[in-house]
Amino acid sequence: MMPWFIGFIIFGLYPMIMSIYYSLCRYDVLRIPQFIGFGNYEKLIFEDPYFWISISNTLVYTVLRVPLCIIGSLLLAVLVNNAVRGVKFFRTIYFIPSIVTGVVLSVVWLWMFNPQFGLINSFLAYMGIPGPLWLLDPNWSKPSMVLMSVWSIGGGRMLVFLAALQGVPKHLYEAVDIDGGGWWAKFKNITIPMLSPVIFLWSVLEIIFSLQVFVEAYIMTQGGPLNSTMFYNLYLYNKAFNDFEMGYASALAWLLLVISLIITVIQFRLSKRWVHYDGVTK
Amino acid sequence: MKQIIKIVLSLAVLIAMGLFLFMPDSKPPNDGKIRLKYWMVSAMKEQPFHVTEFNRTHENIIVEPTPLPWNEHEKKILTSILSENPPDLVFLVTPVAKWATRLALTPLDDLIKRDSFDSTIFFSALWSEMRFKDNIYALPLYSNSYAFFFNKKLFREAGLDPENPPKTWDEVLEYSSWLIKKDEKGNFKQMGFIPTYGNVQTSIIMAWELGAQILSIDGAKVSLTNQPTIEAFNWAVNFYSQFNIKDVSTFIAGFGFAEQHGFISEKIAMMVLDNSFPDQIKLYNKNLDYGVAEIPTFKGYAPVSSTGSWWLAIPRGAKNKEAAWEFMKFAVQKNIQLTEAERQKALLFPSNKLTANNPAFLSLNESNKIFVDLLEHSKTPTVVPLVHDVFWREYMGAQERVVHKIQSPFDALKQAEKTIQIHLDETIEYDNYVRSQVSIK
Repeated sequence: MMPWFIGFIIFGLYPMIMSIYYSLCRYDVLRIPQFIGFGNYEKLIFEDPYFWISISNTLVYTVLRVPLCIIGSLLLAVLVNNAVRGVKFFRTIYFIPSIVTGVVLSVVWLWMFNPQFGLINSFLAYMGIPGPLWLLDPNWSKPSMVLMSVWSIGGGRMLVFLAALQGVPKHLYEAVDIDGGGWWAKFKNITIPMLSPVIFLWSVLEIIFSLQVFVEAYIMTQGGPLNSTMFYNLYLYNKAFNDFEMGYASALAWLLLVISLIITVIQFRLSKRWVHYDGVTK
Repeated sequence: MKQIIKIVLSLAVLIAMGLFLFMPDSKPPNDGKIRLKYWMVSAMKEQPFHVTEFNRTHENIIVEPTPLPWNEHEKKILTSILSENPPDLVFLVTPVAKWATRLALTPLDDLIKRDSFDSTIFFSALWSEMRFKDNIYALPLYSNSYAFFFNKKLFREAGLDPENPPKTWDEVLEYSSWLIKKDEKGNFKQMGFIPTYGNVQTSIIMAWELGAQILSIDGAKVSLTNQPTIEAFNWAVNFYSQFNIKDVSTFIAGFGFAEQHGFISEKIAMMVLDNSFPDQIKLYNKNLDYGVAEIPTFKGYAPVSSTGSWWLAIPRGAKNKEAAWEFMKFAVQKNIQLTEAERQKALLFPSNKLTANNPAFLSLNESNKIFVDLLEHSKTPTVVPLVHDVFWREYMGAQERVVHKIQSPFDALKQAEKTIQIHLDETIEYDNYVRSQVSIK
C-alpha cells in the first residue's frame, strides 16, 4: 500500500488540490499565480461565448453518439449471439476495427470524409447522390464524427453485451414461446430487461467518454469549421497548452467534473425506473 | 513473517524510488570544454551549418543541437525552465514578447551594450520583434518573405499576358474570373485566386496596405473595426459573392502538401507564397512555368508583405550565458548566413540585411531580389504579441464567419476585437501583478 499511497499523493491528490487552487487564480505555469477568487468561473459562465459553444457541441455530440453506440453494439451482439456456422469468425472481424487507436482512426477518416476524393463521397457519387462536405460543413461536422464512432461498435461494448446475452436463462425465452410470442416479444420483454444493468453501465460510461471527446476534433478539425467541433476538452486543452491559461483551464476541468457528476446522478435516479437486477427493479 | 516480508518489500521499493529520483545526470566528459545545449524547433536531419562551423572554429565550446517537435516545444521548454534545467539556447519562431512576458528569456541589453553589437544589420521588421517593453531578448536568425506567384502557362491558356501579372487587387479579381475552369458537373477544376487558401492571410496584407493600425503604440488597445481592415474583409466578401463557399471549400479540400499543393499542382493560378516555394516547385513540379512579382495592392497604395522571424535566445536560468551569446553573435554573421543559405534547400531567408543584399545570395535564385525588396516593406504577423494565438484564432474566426455570410465584416471584426481586448487586458493586468511582486532582473 505504502508505495501506491506515496505515488497517489504526489501524482494524484497534490495535483488535484493544486488545480482547485489554480482554478481561483491567473496562472501561466512560469510565473507566480494571481489569486482572483471565483473570477475564472464567473468569466466562464457569464462572459465566455466559447464555453457555451463547447458545452452545446459536446452535448449534441453526446446525445447523437451514445444511443447510436449502445443500440449498434447491442444489435451486433444479438446478431453474433446466434449459433450459426462461422460466428466466431464474424465476432473477430467485428472486433478488429476497435483496436485501432484514436489518432490513426482520425487520420484514416479524415481521408474517408474528404469531399472531393474521399471514399464515402466517391461511393455516393457512384450511386448518383451528391455527398456533403462532411467535416468542412458546420452542419455536418458533428454528425460526421458520430458516424466515425460506428467504427468501434464491435469492440468491448459488443463483447460485454454478448457475455450478458449468453447469461440470459433459456427458459425465459421458452416461456415466451409457450405464450405464443415472437422475436420482438422476446427482445422487448426478456432481452432488454435482462440486459438493462449492462445497458445502464454502458450508458453511464459512454456519456462520460462522450463528454471527454478530444482526439477526433484535435486531429481532424481543430474545432472548426465555425467552431462547430469545438468540444469541451478541446477548448480546455487549447486554454491550457496553447494559451497557457492554467487557472482558467483548471476551472474548466472542475466544471466538467461537476457536469459529469450531475448527469450521472440523474442517470442513477432514472435507472430505478428501468434497470432490473436479477429480474427486479431496485 | 508475512508482515516482515511486506515491510522489507515496501522499503526496497521506496529506496529504489529514492535512488531513481536522486540519480545524478549522466555527466559529459571532463575535458574543460563548455557544452551548450541548443534546442531547435526544427525537423533537421543533420546539424545546421552555423553549428558545425561554430564547433569547428571554437575549441572550448561545443554546441549540441537537439531538434524539438513543433507540437511539444512550448511545453518542453517551459518545463525545463521551471525545473531550473533549461537549455543554454533556444531557436524559436513564436513571438518573442509572448516568451518574454512569461519571464522565460534572459534580457540581452547588457551584452549588446558591452560588445557594441550592431543591430542595424537586421531588417527593421525583424529587429522590432525582438523587443519587449524596454529590453531586447533575442537575435533574429532567419526570416521569411512573401511574394505573388502566378502560373504563366495558365495565364496563356486563359488569353492573359504571362509577362503582366495583376498589380492591383481589383485586377486579381478580374484575372480570377478568366482563369476559372469547371468540369461537366460544374465542379471547379481550376481557379484563379482564393483569398482564404494558403498560409498567409491576404486580408491582413490588404489591411496593412491600406494603412491599418491594429494595435495602439502603447500595445494596450486593439482595433479591428478600422476602415482598412473592414475594406480588406469587404474584398473577400466581394470575391465570395461570385462563388458558392461550399464549391470553393470542396475544391480546396482536395489539396495537400508538396505535389498536392494548389499552386504546385497547377490548380490555382495565383497565390501569395513564401520564399521556400521556388525550391519546392523545383522539387515537386520542375516543369511549372511561373513568375514571381510584387504583392498586388490597391490603387494609390504601396505594396506590403508579411515576414516572420526565427530567433535565438537564452532561456531564463541558462548556465552558460557568455558562451551562448558568443554563439548567437557568430550565427548571425554575414558570411555564416551566406554559406548556410547556399547549402540548404527550401530556404529560410537570412535575417542579416548584408547577406540578403549580397550578389552571391541574390544570384542563388532569380526571385530572391523581389523577396528582399518586399522584406524592406514587410510587417510582422505578430500583430498583438501578448495574445498572439488569441488574435489569430479570433481573426480567422471572424473571416470564416464573413465568408460564410453569417456576419457582416463590421460585426465579425467587432466580436473578434472584443474578445482579443478582454484577453489583452487580462494579460497586461497579470503581467503588472507579477512585476509588482517579483523583482525583474
